[in-house]
Formats: sequence, C-alpha cells, structure tokens
Amino acid sequence: MRGAKIILIFPLIFLTLFFYLPLVSIIHEGLWDNGFTLKYLIEVLSSSYHRGIILFTIKQALGSTLLTLILGLPGAYIFAKYEFPGKRFLKAILTVPFVMPSIMVALGFILLFGKQGFFTQLIGRDLEILYNWKAILLAHAFYNFPVVVRMVSSLWQRVNPHYEEMAMSLGARGFTLFRKVTLPMLMPGIFASSMLTFIFCFLSFSIPLILGGYKYATIEVDIFTSIMTLLNFKVGSALAIIQITLSFIFMYFYIKSLDLYAKAEEQRIFRTPKKLDFKELLSLRGLLIIFYSLIVFIFIISPLLAVLYDSLIYQGTFSLEWYRRVFSKRYNPIFGASTMIAIRNSLLFGFTTIILSTLLALIVAYVLHRWQFKGKNIFDTLVMLPLGSSAITLGLGYIRTFHKPPLELLGTWYLIVFAHTIIAYPFVLRAISAVLKKIRPNLKEAALSLGAKEWKAFLRVELPLALGGIIVGAIFAFAMSIAELGATYMLYQPEYTTITIAIYRFLGARQWGSASALSVILMVISAISFIIIERIGEEIW
Amino acid sequence: MVKVELRNILWIQGDFKLEINRLEVKEGEFLTLLGPSGCGKTSTLRIIAGFEKPDKGEVIFNDKVVNEIPPYERNVGIVFQDYALFPHMTVFKNISFGLEMRGFSKEEIKRKVKWALELVGLSGFENRYPEQLSGGQQQRVALARALVIEPELLLLDEPLSNLDAKIRERLRGEIKRIQRELKITTIYVTHDQEEAMAISDRIAVMSIGRIEQVGEPLELYYKPKTEFVAKFLGLSNILEVEIKGKKAFVDDYFLKVETTREGKAKIFFRPESVLISKEGIPAKVIGYELLPGRIRLKLEISGQEIIAERFLNELPFEVHAMPDVIKIEILPKDITVLK
Ligand SMILES: Nc1ncnc2c1ncn2[C@@H]1O[C@H](COP(=O)(O)OP(=O)(O)OP(=O)(O)O)[C@@H](O)[C@H]1O
Ligand SMILES: [Mg+2]
Repeated sequence: MRGAKIILIFPLIFLTLFFYLPLVSIIHEGLWDNGFTLKYLIEVLSSSYHRGIILFTIKQALGSTLLTLILGLPGAYIFAKYEFPGKRFLKAILTVPFVMPSIMVALGFILLFGKQGFFTQLIGRDLEILYNWKAILLAHAFYNFPVVVRMVSSLWQRVNPHYEEMAMSLGARGFTLFRKVTLPMLMPGIFASSMLTFIFCFLSFSIPLILGGYKYATIEVDIFTSIMTLLNFKVGSALAIIQITLSFIFMYFYIKSLDLYAKAEEQRIFRTPKKLDFKELLSLRGLLIIFYSLIVFIFIISPLLAVLYDSLIYQGTFSLEWYRRVFSKRYNPIFGASTMIAIRNSLLFGFTTIILSTLLALIVAYVLHRWQFKGKNIFDTLVMLPLGSSAITLGLGYIRTFHKPPLELLGTWYLIVFAHTIIAYPFVLRAISAVLKKIRPNLKEAALSLGAKEWKAFLRVELPLALGGIIVGAIFAFAMSIAELGATYMLYQPEYTTITIAIYRFLGARQWGSASALSVILMVISAISFIIIERIGEEIW
Repeated sequence: MVKVELRNILWIQGDFKLEINRLEVKEGEFLTLLGPSGCGKTSTLRIIAGFEKPDKGEVIFNDKVVNEIPPYERNVGIVFQDYALFPHMTVFKNISFGLEMRGFSKEEIKRKVKWALELVGLSGFENRYPEQLSGGQQQRVALARALVIEPELLLLDEPLSNLDAKIRERLRGEIKRIQRELKITTIYVTHDQEEAMAISDRIAVMSIGRIEQVGEPLELYYKPKTEFVAKFLGLSNILEVEIKGKKAFVDDYFLKVETTREGKAKIFFRPESVLISKEGIPAKVIGYELLPGRIRLKLEISGQEIIAERFLNELPFEVHAMPDVIKIEILPKDITVLK
C-alpha cells in the first residue's frame, strides 16, 4: 500500500461532501435556533400526530418483516433441501424484485387491489387492501422475501446432518427437533435477513407514499410532506434526526447479525439438496413445493402483468393508444417535459450513477478487505453508515447544504446523481465485497513476487476475478438509480424529470393508463438489468 | 544465486512476536525451516519475500539490505501452500505472467515457458486451467511459475502439504533435483520432520517465535542443543542427572559422558543408542512394542522412563521370555548434555 493511500481521497471526499455534510446540516437545522435547542424535537415528540406516525412506521416494519419471514422461510427450506425441475426458473423469478422499481410495483398493486382491480373482481369482494397497512405489508414482503430465502437457505444447507441425526437418536423428532436443533443454527440467517428487511421497511418511501393513502404515513412520508408541502424544514429535520437515530441503532444490530451470519456461513459442511424427479413431484411433498412455487410466481408476476395489461387497454379494447399519447406530446404539462427527455434523464442518471458508485464501492471494498491500518474500525463504520440513511433524509440534507455558495449545486443534474450514488453505493459495496472476500490475498502476493507492481497485480489478477461482482454491483446501482423517486423528487427541476417522477405525476393526476405505459418502459429497462444479473449473477445467490 | 541473511529481526503481530537474531542461507543452499504450527515459519518467509516489513532488523541479500525493496523487485520465486495459481489464467498464462511483467518478447516467453514446463514434466498442459489439474500438477505449475523468472532465491511454503503421501515423496525428490540442477538458493518450509531430513542441506528448527538451532540433519538429530530440538526430531530420551567428573549419575548408577559440565543437568540420547548388555545400569522393563523387525522397549531407570529400540535379532533373550529387569549401556559419544 506504499503511496497508494491516495486512492482513499476519492471516497473520503465524496462521502464527506455528499453524505456527512448533509447529515450535519440536518442536525444543525433540527437542533439549532440561534443556539442549541431541543424545541423542535420536543414539538415533534409531543404531537400525537407525529408520535402516531413514528409508532406506525415501526409497527408496519415489524409486520412487514413478519410477513416476509412467513413467505420466505418455506422457500428457504425448499431451496436448501430439494433439487427439482424448474428450480432454476424459480430462482430467476426470485431475482426479479431486486430490479423492479417500487413505484411500478405500487402501481401494479393499485391495479390489482383497487375497487376495479383484477384481484378484487376475481374474488368478487373488496378486501380493502389498498390505501391501508395491508398493501404496505404485502409490497414490502414482495421486495424482501427473496432475501430471506437466499440467506436462510444458505445456512440451512450447512446444518450438519449429524446434529439432527444425533438428536433424533436421542428421541427428538418433528417440531421439537426443529425447534431445539435446527432452528438455533438457522437463527443467524433469520436474524440478519430480518434486520435487513426491517431497515428496508423502516426507510421505504414510495410504497407507503402511494399505497398508504392519507391515513397510513411513515416517518419518511412525514418528512417529505413537512418539507415539500408545508415547507417546514425545522420539523422535517427533527423528524429526520429521529429517523436517523433509530435507523443507526437498527444498523448496529444488522451489522452485528451480519458478523454472526458470516461465521455461520463459513461452515464447510454443505449438503447437496435431495433430487426430486417429475414423478416425485406428485407426492405430497412435491405438491407442496409446486404450490409454494406457484404462489411465489403469481405473487411476483401479477403486479407486473397487471401493469402490462393495463397499458394495453384503452376504453375497454386492446390498443397502443396509451403509448401513442405518452410519446406523442413533445411537452407533457403533467410533468413539464417530454417523455423522451424523461427516458434520457433516467438513463443518463443511471449510467453516471454506475460509474460513481462502482468506483466508490470498489475502492472502499478493496481497502476494507486488503488493508490494515490504525483506525480501520472507524473507517469501516464510516463507510457503512450511508446504508442507514433514507432517500428523503438525504434529499433534505442536500437542500439544506447545497442551496448557497460555496457549494451551490441545487438544481444541477449531477447533484441528483450524487444522491443516487450515495443511495446505491452500499449495495454495490456488498456485491463487490462478496467477491473480493473470496479472492485469496496470496494471489496478489504471487503476482507481486513475479514482478507485478501493486496496480498491475490488481488489474491483471484481482480485477478480472472480481469482475462478476463488479458488474452485478453496477447493475444494482443502475436499477436503484432508475427506480429512485424520493430524493430525485426533492432535488429535480422539470428538465430533469425522470421516468419515475413522470409516473408519479401521472398517478397524482389519476391517469393510470399513461402511468402504466411509462411503467412498462421502466419494466423493459429493468428486465435488461435482470437478464444481465441472471447471466453473471451467481454472486447474489 | 544469492546469499540471504536475517539480522536482529523483530516482527510483532498482535500478541505474536518473531525474533531472529541471525539466520544465514548460503549461496545455492537448500535450507529448511522446520517447526510446529504457528511458530512463525510462514511469517519468516513472508518477511524475506517482502510481504511483511520487520519492525526491527535487516533482511540482507548478498550484503545488501533489502528492507525497503518491494516484493516485485526482489526477484524471488515463491510457491505457496495452496499454490495461488491464477484461476482465470491457463497454465501457459500463469507461467508467462512473470515474464510478461519483465517485458520479454513473445518468442522468448514461449521458449522459456516450454523450458519450465519440461523442467517440471508438464509439457502439453499449456491450455488447461488450474481447476482442470490434479493437486500434484497444480503444484508443478506453481513451481514452474516461480522458476521461469530465474529467481535468485526460491521460497517454498509447505508446497507438498496438500498432497497425499506417495506423490509427496516423489515430488520432494523432484524439487531437490531441480534445485541442484539450477543451483538456486532455496528456503523450504515444512512441519514434517521426515521431509526436512530427506531434502535439506541444513535445517533451522523453530519454536514459537524463534530459531532454536540451525544445522545439518544428522547434527540436529544426534547433537540437539536444546530439549525442544531433541523432542521435535524423532523419538528422544531425556534423563535428569547429576554430573560429577564426566560421570552422569542417576541415583547410584552412572553413565560416562564427554563434557566439562558439573552439577545437575539433562542428558539426551536416541532410542537406538541404548544398548542391551551384560554390564551396565539396571532398567525395569515396563512394556514393549513390536515393530517390523524391531522392538521398542519401555524402560524405567529409578523413576525416569526411557525408550530403547533394537533389531529383534540383537536381543540376548527371547521376546516371550522378557526379563523384568535388563542391563543397559549408552556409549559416551551418543550422549549429548543439553543446555
Ligand atoms: N496477519 C496476522 N495477524 C495476526 N496474527 C498473525 C498474522 N499473521 C500471522 N499471525 C500469527 O503469527 C503466528 C505465526 O504465524 P505463521 O503463519 O508464520 O505460522 P507458521 O509457522 O507458518 O504456521 P503453520 O505451520 O500453521 O503454517 C501465528 O500465531 C499467527 O496467529
Ligand atoms: Mg505457515
């Protein structure tokens, strides 16, 4: 690492300017009024309205996590224990939520569960899922149960069969066996994936905003309304401080649980799943697997199909009218730009985010896994914290930080990209870390001993080996940038409208058809991301 | 060829401390670092290679201090325990990597890779990937990759420990052959004493964090300086004695020793040095074990246990008619007084 410390400058400066500085300005805004004050915090905490929202945010996150576990654990079991025809396909299906923008899924839910929705008509009753906590929980489960399947099944495959056999020979069976022997060994996986789910739901924005209606707001939505509608930065900041504090506490437990998880995953024992052929699929066990697969398939696919179908129906008949409308206008008054501009912006932001966040994550991951130096613990924490910040909080921080010189960046397109970068970077970091961890450090040393300088050893040996993870990380970054709504909405000007903002605007104007048509375009872009990840992406599984 | 010296090396990593006051590897010599797991063999090698910087002391190649020279300029060939072959490169690419770094022309690279592959007996494997090779073949590729750059020093860190016994024996012969052929200074790490004895010009026996003794295999085997070395190589006997004028007393009996020391001491001898005779010290037989053609006797001399090993046909009595007490003798030249 001689002299190579220079590469640390980029992540340090970037994170300082575009994460820590905004964070400081929020704290300043919320705790400062000609001197330190707790006035706004107390104002928020003593209002039953805000308290209700804080409580609901935690409750819905708990509920979502529970639903996610209920949906994910059977999948984890099936994936760990069985090999069956169609498993690969099911795996691929489970990757879909990783890349599907939440605004599109929210629209799908509206089309499914609304009063005229497909699902409502199918069962002939309105279950009042929409604009309710039920829709929020379902949508959150949609996004998170694949994580549970992945993380828990990985541990389940490693549970040493001898433990179970030993316990059985001692007389434990059935549920007792599971509770006393198997479950404790799965706990690190269940805990880590639950924490991740919980944080996601605690900070999620588009889903409660669109599916929660007026009654069911979360802290994230509350901050958004305080700032964008009421223009009350003080209260918004106080809320943000509460949110950050809570989410950092959750983050702490998440990171602890990840350590446990990593240790449990190191176990060498790896049982190959039992193979089920077509005939065995017709046994009770097989039918249960088919049933679960079907539920998963329908659950993931139906919001997408609903959107696709809706975009193709105009006044009761099949037609491309919505697409024609969406594309024909050179200027759409609903979002103040043309659709082509919105697509261009989304792609521009997406690709720039790829470059920035991948570079950032690559350097940070490399330092995390390859370097030892004093204060590395602090470095580890500082680079992980962006995971615990939400889009809206970041947007608020940017508004407070970059509205005046010397950093008057508000209204520029690259400030939006910087926000996307901060939001996407923790996920890119995770993808790259996963592969870098697997590359043994002595490969680099072998290269050094053969005469390669540090950078050459990196370029010729480590980079090619990490490429899969880097590409997957880059695609994540792209998918997240394309899907981002909250921060973008707070920072954009009409000429920087993105596809998601246009969809949001259409939703606000209750133009479902136009929203669907645009969503399909978003879906196509996401599908490309999906295919690339599927091709290279054993890393995320 | 290079002469390697370590001087006053101190390397601290957490609560592990490595201290080497002096270690010299002569030009063209095959030196083995032998020691138990975790004693610092790999760390020593990594310090010589330049992957670790000593906190104190000098690493010297041919009288030149190389502490500040990065690994890629030291011209040292290394074979790691797990080979560290680049998984995304073919055998050819792996071996040519170091040559490319040195800017050789395409033709030269081809010629040299061919030479290296012939040297390790792997011609024809150029286009395979490491995962398509057996453990032994991977090991040879790693060796070829380290040798092709014509290093002045070859470092081998337990290169055979991942292979099964048969291949291990064959490959260690080949490593020795190649080392002789190329006359390359070599430092070899192992914790297998048999391997060390078989292959080395000299052995440095290490205990936790330090070098106990350096010497030729037989010298270490028969003349260990410390109890640690004595116990580490083969079976050993150590007796607590009282020396008075070249006589080492155990209770009332004594063994003749060649020493100028007086007073309490520990003496050492090998099981095969224990002779069974008519005269000598009485020893109680507390057990025996038959080995192919040999017998290992467990004896007791006034409360201290020793082992004797003899060929069966040397026994002055039948195994079935083993007496309870026998008389033993050890020649003074076979006894070492330990520090
Ligand atoms: N990077 C490190 N951080 C902390 N401790 C280390 C590090 N590298 C080595 N050590 C410690 O230094 C000691 C010596 O390690 P080393 O790998 O040199 O032993 P070794 O003799 O090669 O053992 P083995 O035969 O098991 O390979 C060990 O106790 C190890 O725990
Ligand atoms: Mg070692």
